Amino acid sequence: MADRETLLSETFVEIADTLVDEFDVVDVLTTLASRCVALFDVDEAGLMLAAAGRLQVVASSSHTMRSLELFEVRHDEGPCVDCYRDGLRVECDDVGKAQERWPTFAVEAMKAGIGSVFAVPMRLRDQTIGSLNLLRSGTGGLTESDFAAAQAMADVATIGILQHRLVVEHKVIAGQLQSALQSRIVIEQAKGIVGATTGLTMEESFLAMRRFARNHNLKLMEVATGLVTRTLATQHVVGSSRHIGP
Amino acid sequence: MRVSALADIRRDLDRERDAAGSSAALLIAACVAALDVTGAGIMVMIGRGHRGSVGGSDDVIRLIEELQFTLGVGPCIDTCRTGLPVLEPDLAHPVTDRWPELAPSAVEAGVAAIFAFPVVVGGIGLGALDLYQSEIGDLRPEQYADAIEMADVVGREILAWQADAPAGTLASELDQPESLRLVVHQASGMLSVSLGISIEDALMRVRAYAYAEHRSIDDVAADVVTGVLVIER
Repeated sequence: MADRETLLSETFVEIADTLVDEFDVVDVLTTLASRCVALFDVDEAGLMLAAAGRLQVVASSSHTMRSLELFEVRHDEGPCVDCYRDGLRVECDDVGKAQERWPTFAVEAMKAGIGSVFAVPMRLRDQTIGSLNLLRSGTGGLTESDFAAAQAMADVATIGILQHRLVVEHKVIAGQLQSALQSRIVIEQAKGIVGATTGLTMEESFLAMRRFARNHNLKLMEVATGLVTRTLATQHVVGSSRHIGP
Repeated sequence: MRVSALADIRRDLDRERDAAGSSAALLIAACVAALDVTGAGIMVMIGRGHRGSVGGSDDVIRLIEELQFTLGVGPCIDTCRTGLPVLEPDLAHPVTDRWPELAPSAVEAGVAAIFAFPVVVGGIGLGALDLYQSEIGDLRPEQYADAIEMADVVGREILAWQADAPAGTLASELDQPESLRLVVHQASGMLSVSLGISIEDALMRVRAYAYAEHRSIDDVAADVVTGVLVIER
């Protein structure tokens, strides 16, 4: 462990690197899990993220870790669950003495050969998005510097994930904005086409389009696009509106 | 900035949005006040070919936006195309005459210097923030930096409006018939029928007519729609 500082710095750079380009959440968190095992005095590491308020296992350093995390999610009990719910660090240096706190998880952990469990929240200000979980086969506490480093890693990953979510959200809204603006224009163009063909006013043309859309179970935008691309004849739209209903 | 001043602006805008009192006018007024310029306006790109306005602080900036719409050239259009700020500290005597059709009318209206900044959020170009000054001169370094920040504030504000809009509809702050020049698109639709040409060509005809006749494109379009004006083949 002589070069722990170097390995720690390298890990931060590595995580930061993965945050820049094509962001793959599972990839980043899997890297993080394996580095935790290498860096800290723990045997297993795993990360869980919440989706719609429910935790999901995203990355695990081993099969044992994954099984225990899934167990926690299924029974809604354990260090990861507590850590996510409270947004606070969880430490239990002897899982054998934690049967009151976690009646089912403590038993399961001991069966899997786990002696102590720790968790740090993945949190930015008041928003907790998951937890980083560390397990050890022996009993005993985790040093303060290990806790601090684990929290720092969780923080970097959290910022990356939140930033990524924001970018995705912006793209979705920008797409909605574009299609809403486009429809506004296409509907006006279509009103002009109907008006020029029939002599109706813009308002009357709009009402005719809307009637046709309702009578044919179409969206107004579909009718407008049909008129503008000349795949729908104006006479068809206006003619039908005169015969069918108000 | 005056980081604190910018934070205040963001907070004010958030509060107004929460109180459903937000509007394009308030956002533009915030830009003018924060950047210490004579006037400001915001343009949105609609698809690749169309442009709409979100609004302007005064008649001069509204004229500039209208001219850009009619002519298809100008600082907003350049800044959207390149993604870079466009700076013209002396519009009457530019180093390179970028917009010969636009400059004389803008100068006559009282524009001494004009600047445009791209409005981009998360790598997506939404439009442009344009500023003008009634005095010749460059933006001060802090004004320049603040304008880049304000363009970011504008982009986030526009997306926040749209995020609050009911599904499938345009945010009410952006749905302004005059700003979006809806009457011009009605006129394009009508002309496409009467001249038997495409909608895009019809829009070109309305623009060309307004430019040739030295008339406002909004007035020309309104006359086409009411039948007062017949643009012939």
